[in-house]
Amino acid sequence: MGMTRSTLGQAAASFCLVMLTLGGTALAAPSEAERAQRWSDLRHAIFGDRAIADADGLVAIEAPNRAEDAAIVPVTITVTDKLAPEVRALYLVIDYNPSPLAAHFILGPLADARHIETRVRIDDYTYLHAVAETADGRLYAAARFIKAAGGCSAPAGKDQALALKRLGKMKLVLGDHSKPDQPLQAKLLISHPNNSGLQVDQLTHYYIPADFMQTLKVTYNGDLVFKLESDISISEDPTFNFAFRPRGGANSGVLTAEILDSSQRHFTQSWPVPAPPQM
Amino acid sequence: MSVLGTLRAVAVFLALASAAGAAATAPLPVSEIAPGVFVHGGVQEDASPTNGDEIANVGFIVGNRAVAVIDPGGSYREGAALRAAIRTQTQLPIRYVIMTHVHPDHIFGAAAFRADHPDFVGHAKLPGALAERGAYYLRRLHETLGAEADGSEVVPPAVLVSTKLDLDLGGRRLVIWAHGPAHTDSDLTVFDEATRTFWLADLLFVDRIPVIDGSLVGWLDELRQVTAIPAARAVPGHGPVSVPWPQAAAPEQRYLEAVARDTRAAIKAGVDIADADRHVAQSERGHWLLFDAYHARNVTAAYKELEWE
Repeated sequence: MGMTRSTLGQAAASFCLVMLTLGGTALAAPSEAERAQRWSDLRHAIFGDRAIADADGLVAIEAPNRAEDAAIVPVTITVTDKLAPEVRALYLVIDYNPSPLAAHFILGPLADARHIETRVRIDDYTYLHAVAETADGRLYAAARFIKAAGGCSAPAGKDQALALKRLGKMKLVLGDHSKPDQPLQAKLLISHPNNSGLQVDQLTHYYIPADFMQTLKVTYNGDLVFKLESDISISEDPTFNFAFRPRGGANSGVLTAEILDSSQRHFTQSWPVPAPPQM
Repeated sequence: MSVLGTLRAVAVFLALASAAGAAATAPLPVSEIAPGVFVHGGVQEDASPTNGDEIANVGFIVGNRAVAVIDPGGSYREGAALRAAIRTQTQLPIRYVIMTHVHPDHIFGAAAFRADHPDFVGHAKLPGALAERGAYYLRRLHETLGAEADGSEVVPPAVLVSTKLDLDLGGRRLVIWAHGPAHTDSDLTVFDEATRTFWLADLLFVDRIPVIDGSLVGWLDELRQVTAIPAARAVPGHGPVSVPWPQAAAPEQRYLEAVARDTRAAIKAGVDIADADRHVAQSERGHWLLFDAYHARNVTAAYKELEWE
């Protein structure tokens, strides 16, 4: 979605509430009417004139009311059991971020749409919107307000040497595999600075170049679990909690994650997924 | 007017100018915790217009030929007040300004020492950290302090320390150690051999909750090493200006160990990062100032670090 990046833009000034030794903020906050207008503009930019129904509990978004670290805010999108089989895509919009469309998950046949979690940067007090799109094109939106600020321009990196050394490395943690009738839980950690490009080097006065994950594709034995299109709103060291239904009965398989970043680097890693225990 | 007369007139003029300067900037109150070692105790608060970001312990050490500043303070104004405090003690040149790490409360006073042309000393990783964070910290300083922040600048270090550096103040040697990622990834400590005073800066928090902004595992490693170094006293970055060493490190070590142990357990049990702080080191709550402001954030940092183990 180039539109969000170009129109709402890199130039957005930002500030931070949550930081190490300085606290508080003094900028005027948008009114509720202005927030509503912002969402109206965004939803038209992303979805055109398509109708979006209120999720009314079918889709929900979970996040802390107040983020402890605006550069690492855990956000979960949940979908009810009933709607989940119909969902083919999930969108996460952070209304007041410089690049508001934080994540677009395209779900494959193996995905479990009921629960996806990631960590994002939040640049200002804002509504988050989660939109679920069904196979027949219906859209359902849920909203949640969050108090956090400064996450996009804030420095998250604590150990730059480690970040470089570990660039592109991934780690997969699989959940309980003892219930073959249940989707398999997985947590995928990706080591990447996911630089926003909004930090200025005070000594050279140049912006530190943006360097972020553009796409992540997760497959199981070659079948799509999900594909993610994302950008600078995803936190440093992107992390995803998701679930999938391994296909192939009692056989073991391989889960693969492929990444393309904005510097045109590719990273790929695979992990064996053991066969479920025999019932 | 004779040459001597001209010189005398210049001297009088300089003295008056200096007096006027001193009147404009009240000296920062300092305590002489050991002969020639002066420390100003920061308040145990977050930065605010009221405290002018004077929240860290800052000070200076005086040798026979030169003065070294250890942390120029949280704003230009604090730096200028620290400089005025130095001038109430000695007229020796201020040859070194040591910046112990990247955090704003320790370094934004550096510009107040520019006219002294000191060597600005920092960790080899400080330039990179300042590049990432300096502009952001400066903007936040202005937003938080308003006019109190005026004149504050990011000053890059010219002398970089990657392992160890000796500074000679004239009959007095300071040993500067560069540490691995701990409180931040640019931590320096200073050992004054003359009085065996160990200036830990923010490797040591006393009473105020430690802030994890480098590496939790690294900090515990560094603590094991520095606590093995005998000293007559230590200067923490936050807390009383002089504390017994190594006893004063025990509460910090206990807190960091509790965070590491409980966070590892939470990760293993599948507790989500958003919920982890409620499961981690809650027994520490009553022991620290500003616990509620920083503990959850520390746990987020610890979780993010330890989930890669």
